[in-house]
Amino acid sequence: MSKKLVLENVSKHFGSLIAVNNVSLDIMPGEFLCFLGPSGCGKTTILRMITGFEQVTAGNIIYDGKIINDVIPQKREFGIVFQSYALFPNMTVNQNIAFGLKMRKMPQKLIDERVNEMLGLLGLAGWDTHYPSQLSGGQQQRVALGRALAIKPSVLLLDEPLSALDAKIRVRLRTVIKRLQEELGITMIYVTHDQEEALALADRVVIMRDGEFRQIGSPFDIYKEPKTSFIAEFVGTSNFLTCTKKNGKIQFGRLEFVAANSSDVAEETVYLAIRPENIEIVDVTVPADNCVPSNIVEVEVEVINFLGAVVRITFFLEGEEMFVDLPEKEFEKISLKRKDKVKLYFPPDAFHIYTELFRKLI
Amino acid sequence: MDGHYLGAMNTTAEEYVVPVEYGISSTRMEIDRFIVPTVTIFIALLLFFFMLFPLWSILQLSFFEGGQFGIANFTLANFKKYFTTSYTLNALWHSLYVSVATTIIVTILVFFFAYAMTRTTISGKTFFRNVIMMPLVAPSIIQALALIYLFGRNGLITAHFLKIDWNIYGATGIIVSEVLYCLPHAFVILYTTLSAVDIRLDEAAESLGATPLKVFTRITLPSAKYGIFSAAALTFNLTITDFGNPVVIGADYNVLATEIYAQVTNLYRFDLGATISIILLVPSLMAFILNYYISRKTFAMISGAAKPVIPPSRPLKKISFTIYCCLVSFSIIIIFATVVIGSFVKIWPYDWSLTLSHYKFPSIGGYSAIWTSVWVSIFVGIGGSFITLVAGYVMETRKPFFKQFIYLLSVMPAAIPGLVMGLGYILAFNKPYYFFYGTPWIIVINVIICNFTLGILSSISNLRNIDPSIEEASISLGGDTIKTFFKIIFPLSRVAFFQNFVYFFMRSMTTISAVIFLVSATVHLAAIEIIMLDNDGWTASANAMCTCIIVIVLIMLGILQIVSKKTGTHQEGLVSAL
Repeated sequence: MSKKLVLENVSKHFGSLIAVNNVSLDIMPGEFLCFLGPSGCGKTTILRMITGFEQVTAGNIIYDGKIINDVIPQKREFGIVFQSYALFPNMTVNQNIAFGLKMRKMPQKLIDERVNEMLGLLGLAGWDTHYPSQLSGGQQQRVALGRALAIKPSVLLLDEPLSALDAKIRVRLRTVIKRLQEELGITMIYVTHDQEEALALADRVVIMRDGEFRQIGSPFDIYKEPKTSFIAEFVGTSNFLTCTKKNGKIQFGRLEFVAANSSDVAEETVYLAIRPENIEIVDVTVPADNCVPSNIVEVEVEVINFLGAVVRITFFLEGEEMFVDLPEKEFEKISLKRKDKVKLYFPPDAFHIYTELFRKLI
Repeated sequence: MDGHYLGAMNTTAEEYVVPVEYGISSTRMEIDRFIVPTVTIFIALLLFFFMLFPLWSILQLSFFEGGQFGIANFTLANFKKYFTTSYTLNALWHSLYVSVATTIIVTILVFFFAYAMTRTTISGKTFFRNVIMMPLVAPSIIQALALIYLFGRNGLITAHFLKIDWNIYGATGIIVSEVLYCLPHAFVILYTTLSAVDIRLDEAAESLGATPLKVFTRITLPSAKYGIFSAAALTFNLTITDFGNPVVIGADYNVLATEIYAQVTNLYRFDLGATISIILLVPSLMAFILNYYISRKTFAMISGAAKPVIPPSRPLKKISFTIYCCLVSFSIIIIFATVVIGSFVKIWPYDWSLTLSHYKFPSIGGYSAIWTSVWVSIFVGIGGSFITLVAGYVMETRKPFFKQFIYLLSVMPAAIPGLVMGLGYILAFNKPYYFFYGTPWIIVINVIICNFTLGILSSISNLRNIDPSIEEASISLGGDTIKTFFKIIFPLSRVAFFQNFVYFFMRSMTTISAVIFLVSATVHLAAIEIIMLDNDGWTASANAMCTCIIVIVLIMLGILQIVSKKTGTHQEGLVSAL
């Protein structure tokens, strides 16, 4: 069974560069945890410290109550899946999966059993005598998963395992990984820069930036209540409105908005964030009677992007480019065209209020 | 396949237990901790003992009276003697003269040859490229042997066709033979440089209205300047340290390398030999350091976007470059043809009837020398490629302490002339307790150390092509250093390993200067036999011995080609064998 894995005030410095800055976290047995962040945020470094390929500069990594800082990677019994698959090109699928078991001097009969079990588990039956170069990317990554799981690791660490695959395969393998984790009850620690992947897979997501944890929570919490403007932009999409607060009223250019909880904020400049799918279209998705009148604005449609299930409409509000996402079915009802006028409604409770903006996106 | 792979999940969370009975052996991992330090120390000791110690012995003998180290014994008497004796001092001027002349000629010749290979659309490029690499398969004595047959006192061209009294012995002979010897070495550098520089730069300049001459002087030449300097530095180094050609064709024209040999072998003046070694070491070391810094810059210039799409050359350009390349190739072929034919005719150039009598070697060594050479070369090949691969692996992937220091030690052998190293070996190891002295083993070690640099550099560049995650995957699955190396790294380096093997084999078969001091009454080597035979007047047999070496090396290269083809690695003749 997996045991609790604890990061206790862990830091990692590369010379003067601080890759990971004093982070702490309890990872529960059987949990699916995702480290999510842009490249260079330190997420891979954390994974490598857990695997033992990097030494911590300060702090402790504790597994099952024991500090494992100095335990060599071979003795940690953690499985690792790499972005580049890292299959041994000189070995067949069979030999790749058996490698870890051979290192453990397991009797050949048991090895064969375990390898067959893994081949079945990952839908690779019949491919056992093939070499990695004869397999597709998706199959190779399944072999890599089988190889890592064959040693029955106490924790499985995955470093952007799906980044090298094309979109369709990526989504399919995502399901495979999620099912494996739920069936085997093994702790999985997953590193990715793909927010969709993190939200789809994780029990808990850790948002990282500049070597620090910015928010830890369920995918739902992180999406619904992003703690900072950075997270609001990085996870999903948000429209940002740079506003000034005067006499308890929020002004965006010539417009005045009502936003829930705005009285909690003392600063003069505030940033309102609203997700494109939370903007309503008056008399289409919301009746006008239910709207706070000041939050209704009329805009001109600039661009219409058909994205499949949703249609994204680009418009300008006080010179700022913004988006509204409309379910395709709703869009059909109104059949908008470029330069059409449309009345939008910004529900007061759909706004998130921030006092800093991480940077203006172009 | 869709969905099927989720069907067979019969392992449940309850069964999921870490199987401790099949854990990773702790003892094995404890031992593993010592593997990398042990290998690092072994390599450091190897280079200390077989490179620095012999060098130290030379320094000791040249700077200290009686070779006894101590402040009171410090003396510059040897150097004073050297610089005040006009005969020995001349060797320095001679060496510098022939080296500078050779460097200038080779750099210009090879630049245009490489230019033809990379910037024109002449046909027969594969042929030209293979021909210019040919000198690598023969000892650096073949040029001198052939030139004497053609332009010597009884030369085919001088004495028989032109009937003139002029002959090629002396400085001219050395320069011509060194030029023909250095061609492939300079070519590899300039070919790489010119193929790496983006040809579209030339096109861009042309489209902006620059004349072809302007393009050449303003774009092509400057973009290749580091390659040009690097090729020049290497040529200088090769020429000033070469022994085989000057000893055969130099006659009374002594150079540093031949002077070292003369002092030691004829006059038994080991101290003066050591002193001249130090004097030879200075310019060759400077050329090496220059080359080292330049070649770093060469690599910085190589752009990933460079694409060798060559626009069709104008007819005149094509014709003149074809003629030029034919002339260069013809000179090289003539050298080989002369030596090979010379070994089969009765009396060159009087009696052209064919005979095998020159292959009945009259010297003590004879065929046993060839077999010794082959055996020594096989051991050098296996040992050299294995040690450099292990050293490269440990340095590249395991990052031991003192990595930079070991790296420095590993590139040093390229800076040390083989003759100097060989003399160092005599001075250092000619003691009864060094059991390997006087056996073929000291030759094996010497040749491995002398060629260590290129071996380890090619090992490292090969290892850099292996995804570091593969190594980490093995470790995470419980693989220790030895298992990871033998089960994964070594199989993945097979082709590179064999290329290295052939390189070491070739060097060992053809080297003269490194081993000339190490052959003995009982240990003979084929390459050295050439000098001995020529010295004793058996020139035709010297040619025959040379031919034997060429054939053996070519056979080995043929095997390399077959092996590489089988394993599916792209090969481009001899260029990639380097």
